[in-house]
Formats: sequence, C-alpha cells, structure tokens
Amino acid sequence: MIKVYSTPTCPYCVTLKNFLKEKGFEFEDIDVSFDQKAAQEMIDKSGQMGVPVSDIDGQIVIGFDREKICQLLKIEC
Amino acid sequence: MIYDSIILGAGPAGLSAAVYAKRLKLKIFVLSRDVGGQAIEAYKIDNYLGMPGVLGVELVEKFSQHVKNLGVEIKEGIKEISILPSSQNSFGVKTNSGEFETKSIIIATGKGYRHLDVLGAEKFEGKGISYCTTCDAPLFSGKIVAVVGAGDAGQDAACQLKEYASKVYLINKYDNLRGDDQRIQDEIRNSEKIELINNAKVAEVKGDKFVSSLVYQSFKNNEQKEIAIQGIFVEIGSVPNSDFLRNLVDLNEKGEIIIDHKTGATSKPGIFAAGDVTDVPEKQIIIAAGDGAKAALAAYQYLKSK
Ligand SMILES: Cc1cc2nc3c(=O)[nH]c(=O)nc-3n(C[C@H](O)[C@H](O)[C@H](O)COP(=O)(O)OP(=O)(O)OC[C@H]3O[C@@H](n4cnc5c(N)ncnc54)[C@H](O)[C@@H]3O)c2cc1C
Repeated sequence: MIKVYSTPTCPYCVTLKNFLKEKGFEFEDIDVSFDQKAAQEMIDKSGQMGVPVSDIDGQIVIGFDREKICQLLKIEC
Repeated sequence: MIYDSIILGAGPAGLSAAVYAKRLKLKIFVLSRDVGGQAIEAYKIDNYLGMPGVLGVELVEKFSQHVKNLGVEIKEGIKEISILPSSQNSFGVKTNSGEFETKSIIIATGKGYRHLDVLGAEKFEGKGISYCTTCDAPLFSGKIVAVVGAGDAGQDAACQLKEYASKVYLINKYDNLRGDDQRIQDEIRNSEKIELINNAKVAEVKGDKFVSSLVYQSFKNNEQKEIAIQGIFVEIGSVPNSDFLRNLVDLNEKGEIIIDHKTGATSKPGIFAAGDVTDVPEKQIIIAAGDGAKAALAAYQYLKSK
C-alpha cells in the first residue's frame, strides 16, 4: 500500500503524485495541512518535518526521491 | 556513440534548448537532476506570455510534454557531473549514471538555494529547517517559527507563515525592511504575530531530534540571544549550480557563467550556457527559455562550422 503525505501548495508533492499516477500506482493522498493527527503521524514515522513523505509498504521515502521510489516499487525509471 | 550536443539541466532553459536542437535534427541527450527546476517551485506564475496565473507545476508539465513528444531523451536523477575535454573536437561528460561523449554542451543547470551555513543547520535540515515555505508552512500550525532573511522572499514567507504559526520571528541583517513591496512591508509591521529582529544574523541552531531553539547575534553589540522555536524557514537567496565548471569555463565573482549574450557561448569553444546559471541579469522563466533557444541555435552553427 502507498500513502503520500502532502500539502496542496507543495509543488514536489504534485510532481510525486503525478509520477505515481503516470506509472499506474494507486495511493492514499493524505493532506497534512488540515489534518493535525496525520501530520503528527507523518513526523513520527519519518522523523521529518517536511513534505512530501511517502510510505510504500511500510518503507518511508522522504521528498520526491525518484530513485528510491522506483527501487521500492520495483520499476524502471 | 558521439552526441552532437548534451544539454545539462532540464529547467526552462534546458528544455527550450532541447526543442530547438531536436528540431534542427541534432543528436541530443538531456541530463538533469529533475525536470522543471526552479519553475516547479514558482507556485503561481503571472508573467509568462499567454498563460497568466499558471501553476509552476502545470507550466513544467507542458514544457516537458512538448519535449518528450519530440522524442527527446531525458535522463533524470543526475547529481554529479564532470566535464573532460577528451579530444580536439569532443568532450566527455561523466556522471553518477554513466559516461557520454559529445561534440558540444549546453549548460542550463540554473540556481539552487543558498543553504544556511551555521552550527547545527545541516543536521536539522528537514527536522525543523525548511527551504520551501509554500510546502511546509501548514505543518507548523500553532508553532513558533523564524524566517531567516528578510528580502522579498523572506517577507513573503513571513506573511505566509503568520496564517499558520502562533508567532513568527523575521531575522533581518539590515536595520530596516528593504524592497519595493510596501504593501507586504506594512502587513509585516502591522501584524501582531510577526516580530522583526533587525541587524542580526543566525549564529546557531539547536535541538535534539528536531529544532528547539535558535541563537542569533546582533550586528550592533555582538550580543547573542537564544529564542525557543520549532521551525526555521531559510530565505537567504540562491547560488548558481556551477561548482562542477570551475577551471573549465570563466565564471564571475558570483559563480555565474560569463557568456556572450548574442550566442550563449562560454569562454570554452563548444560549450554554451543559458538561463539562471549564467550572468544574465534577469532570472525569469521566459528569459531562460529564450536564452536556451539562442544557445541551441548557436551550438548548431558551431557544429556546422566544424
Ligand atoms: C519560488 C520561486 C518563484 C519564482 N517565480 C517566478 C515567476 O513567477 N516568474 C518567472 O518568470 N520566474 C520565476 N522564478 C524564476 C524562475 O523559476 C527561473 O528563472 C527559471 O526557472 C530559470 O530556469 P533555468 O532553466 O535557467 O534553471 P532552473 O529552473 O534552476 O533549472 C535547472 C535544472 O538543472 C538541473 N540541475 C542543477 N544542477 C544540476 C547538476 N549538478 N546536475 C544535473 N542537473 C542539475 C535541475 O535539476 C533543473 O532541472 C521563480 C523562482 C523561484 C525559486
């Protein structure tokens, strides 16, 4: 399962989500800008106070780290 | 295989160069960290011809589709580049993702954030220190934050942050707010949430897992003061991505590539440059795109004359 923690005004979040869509992956899009609990969950999981953060089957990726995301999704990039 | 031209960087300058070079049927390859560059970070763009109000990400998507539809190959994820003149008429381009040979090079690596260079700053990047206010401001709801740098970008950041944070310190190295935007300066002065700290610089960032305080030093009496904060937004300008070009082409004192503004030619024959990485005085998307086109056309003439 893929979760993307993002804010609506974060350009790299949009890029990341477009990338996942383009590659045909479904994901849960969590807007941490108004969901304080989700924001805390993201910070606890990632040790990171910045978006985007993605959770790919329990593995945390910080930022739009294309290489790491492709590796975890086992796709060519 | 030897390319006619390798384009370094896929921001507006590099992508525009790619369109022109490809249409001239040059054998090209684009190597870049990402597609879009700073234009992605420009949230809403109001001064690009024909597309008022377009989001940076949307504009980049259009640029990138245009280039990909022409069949240009772009390799992303490039972090390290070195250029080695390999023979009289060609260059070697060595990257973290392979080595390539090319007859000419168009450099369009743009600019990146100037990072805060004080004790603790690197350690807490992403752990309270942010370089993207639009991205991360909402995560600091009800928290105390500081903005470092009070130029146009810093002023804008402080105003964005006051919508979320409980308090915003704005650290300014000058003795008053500078810039042309009176409206935003009034907004800052009249805000109960924003506290302007003039004549000061950051001396240290402290914390455990996350940032918990910041030490600043006054330029007036050199006194240091520590304030409790949870977030630091850094807006201290940008630097050209030209480190890998030292000793290869002439750079000015800011590290920008010195070019011939008619052609984009650098001091090294066969190497051209365009956009924010050069000494062009205006750093704008439409200018970067125009200069990218110009550099590609000049590279074409250069190749033809060989
Ligand atoms: C917050 C913000 C708002 C802005 N708003 C506007 C606006 O409203 N209107 C406007 O016209 N301009 C705006 N700008 C300026 C505009 O974004 C730039 O002038 C423009 O993007 C410059 O294009 P460029 O192609 O020269 O460089 P960049 O956009 O910086 O692109 C450089 C490219 O090179 C790549 N790269 C860099 N270093 C390396 C390396 N070592 N190896 C491989 N690849 C590398 C990058 O990944 C990127 O793809 C804004 C900029 C910012 C930061």
